[in-house]
Amino acid sequence: MNNSWKSYDAGLFFDEVIAGSGQPRVASRRVVKLLQSLSDEDMASRRAAAELAIREMGISFTIYSEGRNIDRAWPFDIIPRVIPARDWARVSLGLAQRSRALNCFIDDIYNRQTILAAGIVPAEFVLDSGNYNAQCAGVSPRYGAWAHICGTDLVRDKNGRFYVLEDNLRVPSGVSYMLENREITKRVLPELFENYSIQPVDDYPSQLHSTLASLSPRMLRRPCIVVLTPGIYNSAYFEHAFLAQRMGAELVEGSDLFTGDDDCVYMRTVDGPVRVDVVYRRIDDNFLDPEVFREDSTLGVPGIMRAWKAGNVAIANAPGAGVADDKVVYAFVPQMIRYYLNEKPLLASVKTYLCVNKKDREYVLANLDKLVVKPANESGGYGLMVGPHATKAKRAEFARLIEQNPRNYIAQPTLALSTAPTYIDDTVAPRHLDLRPFILQGKETWVTPGGLTRVALTKGSLVVNSSQGGGSKDTWIVENNP
Amino acid sequence: MTMLSRVADRLFWLARYLERAEDSARLVHAYTHLVMDIPKGSEPGWDILVRILDAEPHYEEHHRVYSEANVIKFLLADQDNVSSILRSIRAARENVRTTRDVLPSEIWECVNELYLYAQEHAEKCIGRRNRYQFLETVIARCQMINGMVISTLPRGHSYRFIKLGQLLERADMTTRVIDVGAAALLGDERLRSTVDPLIWASLLNSLSAMGAYRREIGPHVEAGAMVDFVLRQSSLPRSVKFCLDGIREELLPLKNNKETLRLVNKARRELSLFDSQVCTREELHIFIDQFQHMLTRIYSSIDRTWFMTDQRLMTAGTEQAAP
Repeated sequence: MNNSWKSYDAGLFFDEVIAGSGQPRVASRRVVKLLQSLSDEDMASRRAAAELAIREMGISFTIYSEGRNIDRAWPFDIIPRVIPARDWARVSLGLAQRSRALNCFIDDIYNRQTILAAGIVPAEFVLDSGNYNAQCAGVSPRYGAWAHICGTDLVRDKNGRFYVLEDNLRVPSGVSYMLENREITKRVLPELFENYSIQPVDDYPSQLHSTLASLSPRMLRRPCIVVLTPGIYNSAYFEHAFLAQRMGAELVEGSDLFTGDDDCVYMRTVDGPVRVDVVYRRIDDNFLDPEVFREDSTLGVPGIMRAWKAGNVAIANAPGAGVADDKVVYAFVPQMIRYYLNEKPLLASVKTYLCVNKKDREYVLANLDKLVVKPANESGGYGLMVGPHATKAKRAEFARLIEQNPRNYIAQPTLALSTAPTYIDDTVAPRHLDLRPFILQGKETWVTPGGLTRVALTKGSLVVNSSQGGGSKDTWIVENNP
Repeated sequence: MTMLSRVADRLFWLARYLERAEDSARLVHAYTHLVMDIPKGSEPGWDILVRILDAEPHYEEHHRVYSEANVIKFLLADQDNVSSILRSIRAARENVRTTRDVLPSEIWECVNELYLYAQEHAEKCIGRRNRYQFLETVIARCQMINGMVISTLPRGHSYRFIKLGQLLERADMTTRVIDVGAAALLGDERLRSTVDPLIWASLLNSLSAMGAYRREIGPHVEAGAMVDFVLRQSSLPRSVKFCLDGIREELLPLKNNKETLRLVNKARRELSLFDSQVCTREELHIFIDQFQHMLTRIYSSIDRTWFMTDQRLMTAGTEQAAP
């Protein structure tokens, strides 16, 4: 029996495992019971087993530091995060709904622009944005699907309610870690799988394969699908290789592909050129085609945009999909859902103030100490101010920035993120979490059961990124309450 | 299932570098052994090893004298010498790192361990006593990796390009071993009867071929017979003939193999016409030089055809291969 559970206290935050009473929530009861029954030695040996499995399975991510690349072992916390299936069902429907609406929006923007004409989203917010890609105007990918793979970041507030924090529609990563986390838990805590009915996640590569295959311009029994990686020095190379291998697709670099005079894309093989039908690209738009975007890019494939526009190759995600991956556009997703689908949004968005609107701006300037202010066109947490943690000078600086360029800033209330018990130096302590499920959009829509849970390992921190010391947890959607 | 040209290229070089590491280890091992057998004063210099590997210009940038310690360090542990054992192993590892998805995972683990071993020990093994241990370990691990390739890798393109790289490198290194003999003894008539057999026998040993030679030819090692044996004995896995036959066999199932096959067949023909029993040492050296040239041309042809081909040209107006 280990004792650190007794003193566990998440304070005012919503804890996903231990309720305010100090008792485990129903869905997590057996997990907690098992973990409490293990001796400290047993616990330590299981954590060591998890670390060993990570090394043996070669699960790593690459960080660039001091001029060289370092392959780091994947940080993993062995206590699973448990979400009851009936809570998840609603979230899952909400994610699918959101993905459909976002894809309708992207397709509309690059074609008829009805939502702009109807005045639901102001045209200048979209067309003047750096994320709008004029090269894509007039293109109609199959099924109207542009963001075929979407990684949506969810958080839970102090009442446990799910909110969408942002939609990643360009090259979202992390799904391989979701799969590997489950593998590790199976090795390390096999007893738990006897008592729980946990929705399996390993279906993802075959679902991804079906989604990609459904985009093929040629009607073949086995279309040629490739995963385009920037190469071994990319931080997500492990994932690129992993997905290619699990799908039975070729892992290619830009130099392996070329565009022929017939505007088709080919890969260079020992049997000569082989035509490629679908490119699952893991490089950004800017680097995709030096003929069209950055001329100095050596990662991309010259002419691939030509081939895509001619309908000879499918690109997932489609170029230009990032137009809906913008913090100003985010504020309009609920309206999009009503407009395109004529449905009520199932998932909550975080209340967003657009500084470009006079009323919102006045509110933001008066409440800077309560809000998180974000630049509209940046990602990865750059240039962001967390009001309650900021100095007076910092707040004054942001007030000035907002006055100067209101279009470029949005603000949101600071959320009290949920927590879950996490092993920190041999004791169990509450740490903040987020969740990134993945939504596939081809002929069908498909949502991962759960997703990748990231956990901030530093006390009180809200930063979950693995490059900044974040960890991860296996995420369980459990069928019935045991 | 086809294979990306880039992946084929890396597998080919993975095999070449591993073979180079093993064969260099064999060469240094045999030479160290040989030097101890030869009477003081008449032992050939250490410069021969550097010359054999065509590395004099690079060596001389860093060293003035061909001392044993300098040469051994250069061949085993020099990070800047592209043909040192440590560098070869590192290059093999880089190639396998990016082709892990087409190989059984044990192969990556084994190459990685070999690299870690070499990195830790190469520098410490300049002295004769540790040198043996190091070289034998490198040889044994390379052979273990070869064994894995033979017993676990499906016979497809992966296997084929690994085989091609290995056999081409081995053919090249075997000709270099013969050249050591020729060079060591060139122009030195004095000690021919006593020293000669020692040198040829040690070279046979470096090719693990002493036993086979005794059974096929007899216990007395004689220059002409030995050279003929390692050049043309088709049953001997490290003979040049064996390597060329193997290369031919791996080329046959490949598309667009015409040019490369023509070169390989030419090399096989020249090998069969060369008579080592009647040639002088000078002639032997010239033959080997020309033959190495031929191997280089075979490599260029493989590279052009399957690795770096500008396939853009090949698509123009031709039927496309189906995936």
